[in-house]
Amino acid sequence: MGPHGSNVELSAVAGPNGMERQPWKKIRETLEGRVRENLTVGMVGAGGDGVVVLGVFLQKLAAGQGYFGQMSRFYGAQIRGGGSAVKLGMNAVALSLPQDSVDILVCFDGEKYLEFGHELLIADDTLVLYDGEPPPGIDLPEASIRFDFTGKSREAVGAAQSKNIVALGLLRAILGLDRDRVREAIERDEELGLVKGGLPAYDAGERLFSGTRFPDLGLSPARDGSAKVILHGNSAMARAAIRAGCRAFFGYPITPASEIMQEMQEELSHGKAVFLQAEDEISSVALALGASLTGAKTMTATSGPGLDLMTESLVLASAAEIPMVIIDVQRGGPSTGIPSKLEQSDLNHAIYGGHGDAPRVVVAPYDVEGCYRLVIEGFNIAQYYQVPVILLSDQWLGQTFVAIKNDFLKQEYPLLERKKPAAEDGGDYKRYLFTEDSISPMADVGDEGFVHQITGLAHNEKGAPAFDFDTHQRMHEKRWRKLLPLCERDDLVRVFGNESAGRGIITWGSSAQIVLETLKDLGLLGKVKVCVPELIHPLPKGVEGFVKSIEQLLVVEMNYSGQFYRYLRSQLDLPKDTGVYARAGGRPFSRGELAAVLKEAAG
Amino acid sequence: MTGTASYRAGVKPVWCPGCGNFGLLSALTGHVLPGLGIDKHQVFIVSGIGCSSRIPGYIDTYGFNSIHGRAITIAQGAKMASPGLTVVAIGGDGDFFSIGAGHLPHAVRRNIDITCIMLNNFVYALTKGHTSPTTPVLEPGAGTFLSREDYPPVDPMLDMISYSVSTQSSFIAQGLVTDVPHLDWLIEEGIKHKGFSFINVLTPCVTFNPPELFKTIKERASYLRDGEPVELPESSGEQPWLHDPADIGLALRLAQTPVLEKPHLGIFFCSHGEG
Repeated sequence: MGPHGSNVELSAVAGPNGMERQPWKKIRETLEGRVRENLTVGMVGAGGDGVVVLGVFLQKLAAGQGYFGQMSRFYGAQIRGGGSAVKLGMNAVALSLPQDSVDILVCFDGEKYLEFGHELLIADDTLVLYDGEPPPGIDLPEASIRFDFTGKSREAVGAAQSKNIVALGLLRAILGLDRDRVREAIERDEELGLVKGGLPAYDAGERLFSGTRFPDLGLSPARDGSAKVILHGNSAMARAAIRAGCRAFFGYPITPASEIMQEMQEELSHGKAVFLQAEDEISSVALALGASLTGAKTMTATSGPGLDLMTESLVLASAAEIPMVIIDVQRGGPSTGIPSKLEQSDLNHAIYGGHGDAPRVVVAPYDVEGCYRLVIEGFNIAQYYQVPVILLSDQWLGQTFVAIKNDFLKQEYPLLERKKPAAEDGGDYKRYLFTEDSISPMADVGDEGFVHQITGLAHNEKGAPAFDFDTHQRMHEKRWRKLLPLCERDDLVRVFGNESAGRGIITWGSSAQIVLETLKDLGLLGKVKVCVPELIHPLPKGVEGFVKSIEQLLVVEMNYSGQFYRYLRSQLDLPKDTGVYARAGGRPFSRGELAAVLKEAAG
Repeated sequence: MTGTASYRAGVKPVWCPGCGNFGLLSALTGHVLPGLGIDKHQVFIVSGIGCSSRIPGYIDTYGFNSIHGRAITIAQGAKMASPGLTVVAIGGDGDFFSIGAGHLPHAVRRNIDITCIMLNNFVYALTKGHTSPTTPVLEPGAGTFLSREDYPPVDPMLDMISYSVSTQSSFIAQGLVTDVPHLDWLIEEGIKHKGFSFINVLTPCVTFNPPELFKTIKERASYLRDGEPVELPESSGEQPWLHDPADIGLALRLAQTPVLEKPHLGIFFCSHGEG
């Protein structure tokens, strides 16, 4: 007998065909010796099964013991009663993405599993723990066990609702998370109140395990046991905005960006800060514009359909040189598209959207740390260059919970402010003064001595309407040229892999994570180099340098028409041997999907 | 540049000679702003798009000639972020009652302290005479109303007073651009009112309105005076009542009067009484 004793409590033990059999011997054979550095757990159920809560709690308990983690959330279309699933990858050594297939699947509802089968692939050696009926029409792996989580919950707390807590107890034990530290966390942490309140259910879950030697499907101890902070991209962006000095936020609810608005509401609903949920995105961005003119650092956040509506004010901010930060958490498009799934198809809109020649800056983080750092950068760019900055995130980046070291939250970040006019500039203040760097000192509305006009009409240095050709041409030059120094920002171009490789890959946004990790898994990072531009527009010279240094290029992105590839083509001479792997969103890239194309790219 | 010396900027308006907009310009720069003694740099005038929306450029305060329909939203954002500013949103009937109409009830319910002045000339004049939501519909055979005589308006007009009363704006007034002293008073009261003020200013378009329109408005106009009986048009079956701007119920009854039958001038409603 193993260290855990014997006689696991099983309400029912059934094989895939419903035939009674001896499970433990078989499972032991399949799974023995699988204590490892990283594990992926899938959880799926119907709305109300508490799947997301289960995932959040498990990730939190693991992060408390030092494990890195990434947990993606998947929702069905319904508001309530639809299916939901999470996929949690935990890693004892470094941050990594969940694996394609899950090591453990907790399934509260077999029917609902079918909605997420692609996201939660089952492998031959997956341990499937299911309540009720197993997923229909699927050949379950050997290690499949039916647990009556619902019944255990009823026994323990008199209601079915704590079945997720029962599963939490079981998973804690299977994974081998330190029992005492978990207990302590449950006692201490208010966010785990649901576990504390349902402690009998949690204990029942642990007992499900403790009766026998359960197969060793545990995590090796975290290399660095210090607790990891958990946040998703949306949260990182909201926190960064506050850090950057944002004190006015205007938004309108939209999936998958609403969490940014919610966090900003919590942060800005007191003191002199300004928060408003507007009547639509047309209004939210215009409100932000008005606030910005008085000197406040302002932001709004939306998704593609909202960006459509914001475009007129985006163009106005460009024309009238008004600092502004707009976050677009991209989702499947066009039109209403797939609101709860990722896609990278707003790039064209971000770069080109709107009438007239209206320069703006487009920035795209590819990970949570970048979401934080680049929002601060976005505010700096907006303030310094007096320009609207669009940050392109996406549903996956925005909503995946990441357990990560918190050093980037504590780091110092320089903050830039607007160039202000000197007191002696008063009297004949020119809001749009032509200067060497094309950036004019900007007075806030309300500043004494600098009364001026602002307009979306073509205007002269004073800001007064001016429709003569020469002034119009010069103002265009001013607005475009002031952004040229950004092309030198090679620090916003990330390059990975073998610097001397002649084969290159360019990818952007969240796609970069899976590309990099798949290359690493395949051992190809020594044969290829990867360029991930975080500043998309204007395009930094570093991207041109990268392209010139290679003979073969692959562009990887998640949109049907290859928007980034086309953008690069419009800016640079790409190698003759250039390929593009682009497809519609709606489903994250997997390692399996990318393996072949990346192998080919690496030669 | 500072202080309150002169609020008139040295820019010549693009408006047609005789345009009603001059009346508002005169009221704001000649009387209201000097009278209230607000420093120029503390005033922010935000406009949309249209003839009247060129007005910020002619006033020596902070001004923003923004985009069509959004003046009211930009103005709210500025006021929220910088509550010390006196913020005035100015636009035409197209701005406030067509493209930007969706923003109005929300400005009303938020009751942010801005003053919204609608120069209502019943027509899209900047685009050369197209119908607006406030363009009156004529009976068949009643002659042409607009210069685009082949295409008279087909939809009933949106009554701006009725609309703003029904949304219960906390200050509602109507003025006549040709009666500048009265307009001065209305705008002063609107600016002093702590909350969202809506002032509908009946304005002639000398180029695209038939002259009879404004002539009729002036002839039929009636001033509202506290405690005095309101005048009602002959078509009204109601008995006149004593005007009380603190009573939203009376304002609602007053708003039943079609504006062209009996344009009432004055403060319809003020949530804290007048001033």
